[in-house]
Amino acid sequence: MSHLDVEDVSLAYRRPLSNEQFLALENVSLGVERGELVTVVGPSGCGKSSLLMLIAALLHPTSGSIRLSGREVKAPGSDRAMVFQDFALLPWRNVLSNVELGMELKGVTPAERRAAAQRYIAMVGLRDFERHFPHQLSGGMRQRVGIARALSVEPEVLLMDEPFGALDAQIRALMAVELLRIWERDRKTIVFITHDIDEAVYLADRVIVMSASPGRIIETIRVDLPRPRDLDVRNTPEFAAYRHQIWGLLEEQVRSTLNWPAVAS
Amino acid sequence: MASRRLVVGSLSVVVFLALWQIVGSTNLIRSDLISYPSEVVATMAKMASTGELGSNAWVSLNEFFVGFVPAVIFGIVAGIALALVRRLRLLLDPLLIAIYQAPIIAFIPILVVWFGVGTTSKIVMVFISAFFPVMINTMTGVAQVAEPWTRAVRSFGANTLQVVSKAILPGSLPAIMAGMRLGVGRAVVVLIAGEMYVSVMGIGRLVQVYSSAARASEIVVLVVVISTFGFACVSFLRWLENRIGPWRQELEQ
Repeated sequence: MSHLDVEDVSLAYRRPLSNEQFLALENVSLGVERGELVTVVGPSGCGKSSLLMLIAALLHPTSGSIRLSGREVKAPGSDRAMVFQDFALLPWRNVLSNVELGMELKGVTPAERRAAAQRYIAMVGLRDFERHFPHQLSGGMRQRVGIARALSVEPEVLLMDEPFGALDAQIRALMAVELLRIWERDRKTIVFITHDIDEAVYLADRVIVMSASPGRIIETIRVDLPRPRDLDVRNTPEFAAYRHQIWGLLEEQVRSTLNWPAVAS
Repeated sequence: MASRRLVVGSLSVVVFLALWQIVGSTNLIRSDLISYPSEVVATMAKMASTGELGSNAWVSLNEFFVGFVPAVIFGIVAGIALALVRRLRLLLDPLLIAIYQAPIIAFIPILVVWFGVGTTSKIVMVFISAFFPVMINTMTGVAQVAEPWTRAVRSFGANTLQVVSKAILPGSLPAIMAGMRLGVGRAVVVLIAGEMYVSVMGIGRLVQVYSSAARASEIVVLVVVISTFGFACVSFLRWLENRIGPWRQELEQ
């Protein structure tokens, strides 16, 4: 039994207009060990975000089950904290009170949550922006608020749904460095969804490669690059080999979603 | 630029007051019909010093706030409930829209029959006038609450009440405030009309009394008092809106 167990999970739903059954995920099984950083890559629309929503219990599986530390997850809770691609900050709250949101819902006392919020805001490097509102911050800063908010409830698992997908390439690379720096401190269990292969390899202990719709796991690749990693690791031959291997697996899947045949060479 | 606009804008007001003063005080047009500014000011001072203005304004203010505050509270609760519970909305929407569209002034006589000539009927009139715009705007506001806000709150395990208090209510507050501003305008009109129709005391009652006596200056004083009150309420709500809602800029971008 792993820390987080996804057991034979399928997700089907009816499309609103055509009312036809749509299979988003098919027989997905995945075990994540405590302290492991797992990334999930796949073509868009492969249901990788749905997988994360299922773990968060914001969606419920059609069949199969999800267990965290042996207990089946049935409802959202602060043992799993999410970081969203669109940040999902509350625009009427400043940085401090956005970070406090999760702790408020968890029932942490005002004094404790103020202190904890300040600690996590400092950790993501936003100490001077506590009183700023989301619309006064850049995208990268907003997502650091999202990360601080998620960490502040001290979850067992951090669920990150393409968290850097809305950021431009340079910021994105630096955010990944930042995430590893934070993760190295307490090695929280992380499930990280992305469609960026470099990001997936750079961060991961293990990369899960998913097929085009319906989403299935087609390969699990262990990344044996030394830690702590800096950005230069992306220029090593080992990194290139992982990149090549994953792109090989994904290319066919992406082509199938686009109905493009492989180019004859 | 802003100060220049203020100067140019107040120019028309100053010119208007000056012309009115000249035309009225020289009896170019009969001053008992149109009065003139200096006489209006004198009349206002007289009405204030006898306590006539204060005691009647107090009655009207009471009627207004006793009707308005519950209208806002019930309007918000009803608006959120209707927005969230689809079946309730399907059931009640046609009825509520019909009542909202109906001119409340037409109901004044029957409300007086039901609730008497005193303050109760006026309180009910204010309540009805303000309730519907607040409720309808709250519904609109809830519909505009962005999905990421509720998703964020739900992801931390919030129950329905917490989703409402942490995401839906603050997220629809700007629309609710707009509904309150609309409600102030309607409630003031209906309150004055109701008092003019039949009442014991109140600003509308004074309007009615001085109209039958064809006393222009007193009526102008009362109109100034009424519009000052409405203007103050709306300005206060706008100020409040700007204080709580700088985040709306982000959504408008």
